[in-house]
Amino acid sequence: MTQLYVDSDRYGEPPASLLVETVRNAVTDLVRRKLAESGGSWSNFVFSASDRSITAEDFSAIETQILASGYRFAWSAVISARERPEIYRAVGALAADVASFSFEHPEAVVAPADESGREQRGIGDNVVRRPENVIGIARYVRSSEQVIAYMNQGVPANTIAVIDDSGGTLTAPILEHFTGIVCAGGTVRSHLGILAREYGIACLMGAKTSGIREGERIELETSAAAKTAEAYQTGQEMPARIWKLTR
Amino acid sequence: MSRQDISYAQLLETNNLIQNCGDETYWLCVTRTVQGSKLFPVSPYILLSYLNAFYRYPSLLRKIESQMRAEAIADRARNMGMKIQNSALGWALPNFYLLGRELLLSLGFLRPQDALEDVVYVMDFWKRYMLSWHRNDGHITNREYGHRAQILPDRRLEVFQSDIYSCESGDELHEAACTFLATASQYGFLVSCESRISLTNSGPYRLDERHQMIVRDFMDLAECSLPWLDGVAKDVPYNYLTVPVVARDCHFSLVDDWGSFESNPEFTADHVVGVGLYTSDALTEGFVPVGMGSREELSSTFRSLNAVMKEATNKLWLRIAEWTRDQMVDAGALVYYNIIKDLAHVAGVFEVDDWLTIDPRAERFRPLLNDEFSNEFLGALVGTLSLPNHRQSPYTMMQHSDRPTRTLTMLPYSVLAGDDYVATSGPIQPGTSHLAPKIDRYRTSAGVLTLEEFNRRARAHEPVLCSDKYRFLCETWVKYNHTTALANELYQLEQSQSRTLRGKGAKFIPPSA
Repeated sequence: MTQLYVDSDRYGEPPASLLVETVRNAVTDLVRRKLAESGGSWSNFVFSASDRSITAEDFSAIETQILASGYRFAWSAVISARERPEIYRAVGALAADVASFSFEHPEAVVAPADESGREQRGIGDNVVRRPENVIGIARYVRSSEQVIAYMNQGVPANTIAVIDDSGGTLTAPILEHFTGIVCAGGTVRSHLGILAREYGIACLMGAKTSGIREGERIELETSAAAKTAEAYQTGQEMPARIWKLTR
Repeated sequence: MSRQDISYAQLLETNNLIQNCGDETYWLCVTRTVQGSKLFPVSPYILLSYLNAFYRYPSLLRKIESQMRAEAIADRARNMGMKIQNSALGWALPNFYLLGRELLLSLGFLRPQDALEDVVYVMDFWKRYMLSWHRNDGHITNREYGHRAQILPDRRLEVFQSDIYSCESGDELHEAACTFLATASQYGFLVSCESRISLTNSGPYRLDERHQMIVRDFMDLAECSLPWLDGVAKDVPYNYLTVPVVARDCHFSLVDDWGSFESNPEFTADHVVGVGLYTSDALTEGFVPVGMGSREELSSTFRSLNAVMKEATNKLWLRIAEWTRDQMVDAGALVYYNIIKDLAHVAGVFEVDDWLTIDPRAERFRPLLNDEFSNEFLGALVGTLSLPNHRQSPYTMMQHSDRPTRTLTMLPYSVLAGDDYVATSGPIQPGTSHLAPKIDRYRTSAGVLTLEEFNRRARAHEPVLCSDKYRFLCETWVKYNHTTALANELYQLEQSQSRTLRGKGAKFIPPSA
């Protein structure tokens, strides 16, 4: 069988990800086959024959092969799953079902309501320490359709947006109108965290929450210390709490 | 292209540069961000951009240098706020190229010695550029300086400091400036398809015990060489804006090669006690004040810019919301890949086909780039370093992780003993894009120009301070020659548009903030 340079790697180990390993194996098989078919040397192949002989159709065939096993890809951008639902796992609730939806993180720290009616429903990393905690109404924002609706109708007063997108683009037209943000992903250095700091909006990133429903009153412990770069680097937890207010 | 004689010294130096890039890339990617977006397929576009960079940067950098040397472009960069700072030059140029190489290595498309002369050339271009751009602080990167970027010369800092208007929380200027900074940041993330590459920060610069100045740049704001801004950004009057910001009781402890900063305590609006506003581009004589005639004018200018950027944000967002996935991937891949396009604008050799299309050698990989594979592969490529090519001898202890891994593969010295190698990946090939074609309108300081006219003027333009007479009058020379007529001339040129220092020359030293 034709050998590639990478086939004689003294130290290399298979990729940690099974999907990456599967694709890599398929691609290196493809390169071996095309090199053999070229009948020439590697030097003639690498930036000439291979440019012509390894095509998009070859890579499409690899995708087809993976899908034929029944595997479906996880999506991260909504557009990906909407355009090709046949290759991605189901999208689930985004806009229409927010009324009955809640983030359910397996590591959410929860506790029964205290004497003042504050029921802990999670934790997050505080972007900027503020003198006081922030209270508002939880509203999930997870899709372009919701953003357009808020652009047209306005963001209701005292909205604490509950988001799973740590980027700064999905909510770009409406972000400044939020009273607070709970983001289920990212770190305080993610784009959403950076923008929250610029706008002076209370924000907890990397939040692990459970049982927070659309329209409920929640309180963010923004008086907690802001999570530092050193804490991320050393793995130190600096949790700020998130409560549902039951009265 | 004929084969060059590559020396041992060149390989040694190139590998040192590669290793430094690899160590910093790992640190930046692991500690500085977790990038994600529900709107944009970020990882797919990042991988596509790396491939495009690998196949195209060597040819395009050679084309740029056929007009202007890297170190001469960097002389310009020190005198203005174009997209030839960080993260474009400090990190993206070498690392996008090298990560594309690493991606192809991992898939068996390359051997470490393939495109050897390209690798040596790209790293040499980068080194010369960075040494020139950083010549005032004497380092090659912010990393080397302990994550600090003191790029600007004394004469420019004097003007920034002296012309800044003071402000305090609650006053009109403070409110207008801080609102603008937030809006411009938000707009920048959207313009750059969920990346931070339209924003950068440099400094800090010490003003006194309680005050530090940081210089914040916002780039690609108007109709420019990003086709998705055609129409939606037609009312944005400047393509580049620079905001020197004075912060009180806030120490900027880190400014990295992505142009991001850390401070202690956390930088928030209440620390801002002074601001200025400037524009610049390939046709200006350096930084040009914007709305700096009076405090009221500056407040009004910030408010006006805030309004047009908010409007542009909404229009652009609605445009993007209608894009297909291929359009989103193309826009992201192109804005990443063409992060160094302003080198071509300064040299006057920008061409749409060079910078706004995907090379077919990269494009063919698109069917592999579903969200999950891209996320996991990118994570392996820059975060977990879990691809076979990353693995090193078990004795290795990598910087920052102590693991037997290396982010970027070095060039093998065995080529000097006769091992065969392929010199270059070859010229760029005609590319494609799913996006609307670029309309031939470019907002510049000389008005809205066609590309041909923009290139022509850029080739003809040499800022006086970058002419041979002044270019080498460095900080060491100024230290010992500030009383000379030539030094006075140098400072007066820099002060020519200053509201407070015009004509004062080198003998005047402004008081502390």
